[in-house]
Amino acid sequence: MTYIVRTTQLTKTYMGKEVVSNVNMNIKKGEIYGFLGPNGAGKTTIMRMITNLVKPTGGEIELFGEKLTNHSYHLLGRMGTIIEYPIFYEKLTAKKNLEFHCEYMGFHESKAIDEALDLVHLKNVDDKLVKEFSLGMKQRLGIARAIITKPELLILDEPINGLDPVGIKEIRDLFKLLSAEYGVTILISSHILGEIEQIADTIGVINHGKLIEEVAMEQIREKNTEFIEFVTNDCRKSVFVLEHILKITNFRVIDNRLIRVYDSSVPQSEITKTFVLNDIIIESIHKKNSSLEDHFLTLLNGGGISA
Amino acid sequence: MLKLIKLEMKKFKMGGYVRSSLITNVIILGVICLISYVENLEGAVVFEDYAVALQLIETIIRATFIIFAAVLISRLVINEYKNKSITVLFMYPINRKSLIIAKLLIVVIFTFVNIVAANIFVGGGFYLLDQFAQIVPDQLTLSGLGKHSASVVMNALATSCMSLIPLYFGMRKFSGSTTIISSIFIVLIVCQDMNGFTLNSIVFVPITLAVIGAITAYLAIRNIENKDVIH
Repeated sequence: MTYIVRTTQLTKTYMGKEVVSNVNMNIKKGEIYGFLGPNGAGKTTIMRMITNLVKPTGGEIELFGEKLTNHSYHLLGRMGTIIEYPIFYEKLTAKKNLEFHCEYMGFHESKAIDEALDLVHLKNVDDKLVKEFSLGMKQRLGIARAIITKPELLILDEPINGLDPVGIKEIRDLFKLLSAEYGVTILISSHILGEIEQIADTIGVINHGKLIEEVAMEQIREKNTEFIEFVTNDCRKSVFVLEHILKITNFRVIDNRLIRVYDSSVPQSEITKTFVLNDIIIESIHKKNSSLEDHFLTLLNGGGISA
Repeated sequence: MLKLIKLEMKKFKMGGYVRSSLITNVIILGVICLISYVENLEGAVVFEDYAVALQLIETIIRATFIIFAAVLISRLVINEYKNKSITVLFMYPINRKSLIIAKLLIVVIFTFVNIVAANIFVGGGFYLLDQFAQIVPDQLTLSGLGKHSASVVMNALATSCMSLIPLYFGMRKFSGSTTIISSIFIVLIVCQDMNGFTLNSIVFVPITLAVIGAITAYLAIRNIENKDVIH
């Protein structure tokens, strides 16, 4: 298996405070790597270190099998990036921005600019200055800029910020296309878990600068259990009924109205019937799959499951 | 390098700056003419000879373009940091040192060329005016012209280097106004004139400032590969 990005004991200290500590990340060729973590966890710092904008205090980064040094300029030409907020030369038009980008990247293909703008669905922006763009449009233009030179590695920090739901879907499909058709390796961070869940092959969870887990999405999906979610008017009574009448122990109280039952040996109709017989009003019932969100929250809470 | 300079000039629409420096030239010529005309009306002798007149012209031009250079520095360098577009620039597969050197070269060359060109334009304009209006009592001699030309070129060289000094102050907090204000201080040092005595005429002063300017540029790029671009 070839790795496109590998970090070993990557550490960054700002004024005595470790914002990234001993991160060992492995991104395989061709995969979409979802980077998860709460705000301020160190995602952006790691991405900046990979793009050489910020220098590590300790540890190493290996890109395309080569060690990243202060002089590794040639490696920068092989990736496309959006780091945090999409930044442009605001007084130039979208096309001019892309033209300059291609010039600096040493990429000369006359059709590429129109193709890239098409791919991100940016239309009728020919004479408009970037200054007048909305955040969503800038984000699209940022993605266009990142993919225009057909890089082998895409580093995307919160790329769907500011996009509307339709836009999010379009961009998600674009990433999938790039990954499937062109074999582009993608490192994508987002705080919208559902998004990562839908496209990532591997996820890395980071909190307080530490990489807590690096796991294949498939493994998470396997771990997923079905459960039934009840919203009742009386939580304490419901718990009593579940424990003593139905003899179910595998359930979890989420808040004082929400209960999740993981035990599948007792059918849903049985539980409902018992609840009703015991004067518990059921406001809603859902059959659900435990999603990445649960996995993520469990990890961040230190794995403590409350019962 | 040439390509980087070209790109940089296109990106910042240098054509606009060339136009404004032309306008500046016309204004300087206008001011000189106005001074001569008004003083002439009052019957006073403005310029004893050509040497004095040309030196005044040269000083005004130098002052103008030191500040002009600071404006360029703040647009080309300081603003890139302030708007964070430097992060875009520094993610290109191009040596960071070359990128910054290209920018500074534009400032230096632009300042030098403009000072020389402005001296030819304003000086020439003034000479033509003098042919009609008889402002200066004596005549321009070839040797006088030669001497002045040499000093214009030397001064332009020193000035284009010292115009980089504001970079140091501007980079401390990425502030365009600091850059321009510090350039005004430089103007105060090298362009003041107390009854014909100028600090600039002490050769040591412009040379030292020029060296400081060069050192500023060196410091700005020395560590650029090892430093964090953003914090």
